[in-house]
Amino acid sequence: MSLGRGALFLLLGLVLAAAAVVARPGASYSYQDREAPLAGSSWRHPAGTDDLGRDRLVRVSAALLLSLAGSLAAAAISTAAAAGVGTLAAFGPAAAGWGAMLVCDVFLALPWMFLLMMVRSALPLTTLPAHSAAVTFLVLAALGWPACARAVYRGAVAQRTSGWMLHARATGLCRVQVIRHLLPNLFPLLIPQFLVSIPAFVIAEANLGALGLGISEPLPSWGGMLFELNNSAMLMQTRWVYLPLALLIVVLLALEGVAQEA
Amino acid sequence: MARWLARTVAVILLVMVGTTMLVRFAPGYFSDAAEMDARYADVARAELAAEAARSHSLAQMLAAEIGGWLRGDSGVSRQFGVPVWELIQPRLAVSGALLLRGIALAWALALCASLLSSASRNPSLLWQAPAAILLAVPAAALATLCLLVNSGGPVLVLALLLAARDFKFLHRALRRAWLDPHVLHARAQGVRSRHLLRAHIVPALLPQLGALASLSAVTALSALVPIEVIFNVPGLGDLAWNAAINRDLPVLLTVTMIMALAVVCAGMGSYRTVAWREA
Repeated sequence: MSLGRGALFLLLGLVLAAAAVVARPGASYSYQDREAPLAGSSWRHPAGTDDLGRDRLVRVSAALLLSLAGSLAAAAISTAAAAGVGTLAAFGPAAAGWGAMLVCDVFLALPWMFLLMMVRSALPLTTLPAHSAAVTFLVLAALGWPACARAVYRGAVAQRTSGWMLHARATGLCRVQVIRHLLPNLFPLLIPQFLVSIPAFVIAEANLGALGLGISEPLPSWGGMLFELNNSAMLMQTRWVYLPLALLIVVLLALEGVAQEA
Repeated sequence: MARWLARTVAVILLVMVGTTMLVRFAPGYFSDAAEMDARYADVARAELAAEAARSHSLAQMLAAEIGGWLRGDSGVSRQFGVPVWELIQPRLAVSGALLLRGIALAWALALCASLLSSASRNPSLLWQAPAAILLAVPAAALATLCLLVNSGGPVLVLALLLAARDFKFLHRALRRAWLDPHVLHARAQGVRSRHLLRAHIVPALLPQLGALASLSAVTALSALVPIEVIFNVPGLGDLAWNAAINRDLPVLLTVTMIMALAVVCAGMGSYRTVAWREA
């Protein structure tokens, strides 16, 4: 079995296991077992509980699903935006192409972390947890497209002068028809870009959450759970605090493996 | 060069307009955490009302922002009530030193590792595995782990994060360069590796190395925030995080602008490398 296929199976297995844990009757990521804060491993809480008595296994599973779903959505949005902008820049008027690449430069000049912090801190204090998650991933999508758009632009420009394209234009195909035939030719470029974006977005969300600026509580997130590592008193009580980090590394390695295979 | 410079100025101006717009139209711009405390709520509301009057229109706000930059104070911090530049100035050196030392160590590590790994016949897991694992650990988590085991400081964490990324590119580029037909021919004729590196491989890789150096700088700027926050380093990243937590948007806006400027300057380094090689 190839490395990429193995990574994909591992990822699917983790997602299915996480979905089974979250869908288990009575499982809730926000339920607080007041009798057992910071409990160790038990039949009721296999990975123990956090300082508020919430089941760590359920929270880690929910964080995995939320992070992967959000990152997949963000990667899909950013890749679609990149495909649109890159193709438009290559086939539109020269001024549109120049303007689109200038906008790409502007976005590429802004370090992600600072812009993410700026957007996150500019949200109202009363922002709902679900909204904070949506905003976090939307901002990641909004920041992730320029690098991909540049690659698409270069690919589309190369296709513009290719033999089949000249032939298609000479036979009288209109611009929309040409672009419809172009998109399948750009897939070999778009699919790796999409796959590479997913682990990048997962890491960005985790970093933001670890600084206390990510998805708001009580929604579980990788970053929010990495934040627990700062509590040395908690680390002395239970080693299960390291579970989110270990699982995050496994997920990211699997995502990298899948991306490399593509 | 003049065209590139004009484009750079346009990018910086657009970054300024874009970030100011983002901040001005953000739904939480006219809110403050102090409003929730009955003791400070009235003062906070009065300050916010004054700010609302000051930033009535985007043009007015932009003019104030550019004016502040030209005057050299970049506005007033909401949190500390002092000119933003006074807060930034002492932290520039701290962050600059951390960045320089981190990037230098990262390049030394990545170059040594990639030279050794690319020269071997088969790419070894000994080099690949640590780099892959380091790439899968978020900067904040790596910094926290180093702090917990009480080994390694901010420079080492930054260097490890950058070295893993740089190694991935350098290893691939060097491996390809070693397998170039003319290099293979020279090796078969017994030309020394050191000479090949100096005369053929490094000059051919120079544009890629320049681009990688810019990428390193950009990655380092983003990793700066979690590293400085976790190691309590009083630099720009720590200031930006404090500003984000306390909704001090003038400070955050100025730090973001400085970072954008740094990214553009890093890009200039890469551009100059290509120009120098082509000259």
